[in-house]
Amino acid sequence: MRDAVASAVCLGIEGLTKRFGGFYALNELSMEVAHGHIHALIGPNGAGKTTFFNLVTGVLPADSGRIVFNGQVVNDTRPSKRTIRGIARTFQNIRLFPHLTVMETVMIGAHCRTYSSVWKSFGKAVLQWPLTEADEERRMRANATELLAFLGLADKREAKASDLPYGEQRKLELARALATQPQLLLLDEPAAGMNPRETEELDDVITRVRDRGVTIILVEHDMRLVMGISDRVTVLNFGTKIAEGTPEKIQNDPVVIEAYLGEDVQL
Amino acid sequence: MFEGFIDGYTKSLLIFAGINVIAAYSFYVPFKTGQVSLGQAGFMAVGAYASAILTQKFGIPFAVALIFGGLAAGVIGVVVGFPALRIKGIYLLLLTLGFAEIVSVIALSWDYVGGAQGFGRIPFNSLTLEYVIGIIVVLIVIFARIERSSLGRAMDSIHQDETAAEVMGIDVVRIKLLAFGLGAVVAGLAGALYAHQATYMDSTTFNIMLGVEILMFVVVGGGSTYWGPLLGAAVLNAIPETLRAMRDWLELVPVEWTNFYPMNRTYQFLYDFLDFENAKRLIAFGIILILMMIFRPDGLLTRDSLRRLRLPRWKARHA
Repeated sequence: MRDAVASAVCLGIEGLTKRFGGFYALNELSMEVAHGHIHALIGPNGAGKTTFFNLVTGVLPADSGRIVFNGQVVNDTRPSKRTIRGIARTFQNIRLFPHLTVMETVMIGAHCRTYSSVWKSFGKAVLQWPLTEADEERRMRANATELLAFLGLADKREAKASDLPYGEQRKLELARALATQPQLLLLDEPAAGMNPRETEELDDVITRVRDRGVTIILVEHDMRLVMGISDRVTVLNFGTKIAEGTPEKIQNDPVVIEAYLGEDVQL
Repeated sequence: MFEGFIDGYTKSLLIFAGINVIAAYSFYVPFKTGQVSLGQAGFMAVGAYASAILTQKFGIPFAVALIFGGLAAGVIGVVVGFPALRIKGIYLLLLTLGFAEIVSVIALSWDYVGGAQGFGRIPFNSLTLEYVIGIIVVLIVIFARIERSSLGRAMDSIHQDETAAEVMGIDVVRIKLLAFGLGAVVAGLAGALYAHQATYMDSTTFNIMLGVEILMFVVVGGGSTYWGPLLGAAVLNAIPETLRAMRDWLELVPVEWTNFYPMNRTYQFLYDFLDFENAKRLIAFGIILILMMIFRPDGLLTRDSLRRLRLPRWKARHA
């Protein structure tokens, strides 16, 4: 159904290649992610999913190919500038700022939407008069409070990020990414280390984020989660795309079942 | 301003301790973004020479020269900061160390600023203590405000995970450059103050050991809060003076208590040990550094310990 109404392309990938020495982590990958979709990216370990995220966010430079976001090539754009254009991500191995509190962590995400340049933030920090909290700070705090409530972390505001249990750290990463007000959100195994109840909550959260108008690319090994909420699924193996389509189509694709799960497994 | 109640010796002690505090803050700013610099002595030299050239050769008033000294160091800081952006950890240490060496070699070989004879007859600034105190107060206010601001948080996030900060939209390049440049400005101010207090300097005045000492002030005091550099510099400057005072007390011990074995040896050892000059000072600093790394690797004062100090208020707010 969604395919029929899919409008413009949010993220277009054209012939994207990344080599590590002689090893092709991604080989001539081309795909399109439509606005408002939850697009799942699945594949066995080492298929190139996290590399794909690193290339799209600019953490690693691509060897060849183009990354087109909202009609603009972003290959040579720095990661922070891509975030300002509207690409946000979470990390597979959680990368929070261990000494910041939950509230501060989310406010880091909001920084780039509040201050358009370093000089502005410096001027605001040093020259703001009278010596009270800047309006910007109050706005950021309000936004962060709202996001934390959205993700059920409201009562953990003053806790240190590194003191949270694993599942909540994942949620905090999500909150931090959402605070950058993304149009495209890359989730790298958000359900890893979560218990079934938390995974169910996550399902709900991801859907609600999508309903806010955020396009989502989801890398995940929890097939129930993936098949339940995705609009489209792309399957990678050894850096190349081996299948793409609706969850139903992927579930019954013999190529996928063989390459991804071995021959006898029923999804 | 202080003539009435402190003698000249105390005053000069306070001035050099205060200059060390400012130097410690110059290390603290880039450190807040995770950049560890051993080259702050080099920036001090730039500030010192730039300001001394202005006052001694052109007769420009000290206040103006001080500002120019800071700015000159800041410009050099940004130039050095660019290559420093790309490298981290031990490599950044080496780069900044190399920078400080280059500055000292230039000072040695440039005859205009005295070359090997050193730069002498720099006009003495009689208000150095007032300047030092004023600058420290301004610095503390600025850093307190940065720490409570979004920029301060962004700096902390860069220190803790640069890649994650960049991906969250923090302009890591500009903020690191700003911090490095600001650190250089502060170091330049410290250098200018030093030059017009000591009135003489040469290529060895701002040497590598000074860079290490500046690093130690922050390591000992704690680099995670803006009170750390002040505390570290104060403590490390107070130690030699305290030991010297203890030696004076030791001399009060009656001779008949110590003129037999083994007391005479013990006395001599203690007396020598408390003579806190040059080489022994370095040994003591080394020991302090090792002990700090074992018992309080984050420094005497950390954000957590400050939080604990504020605990009653904190608890009340979160009850």
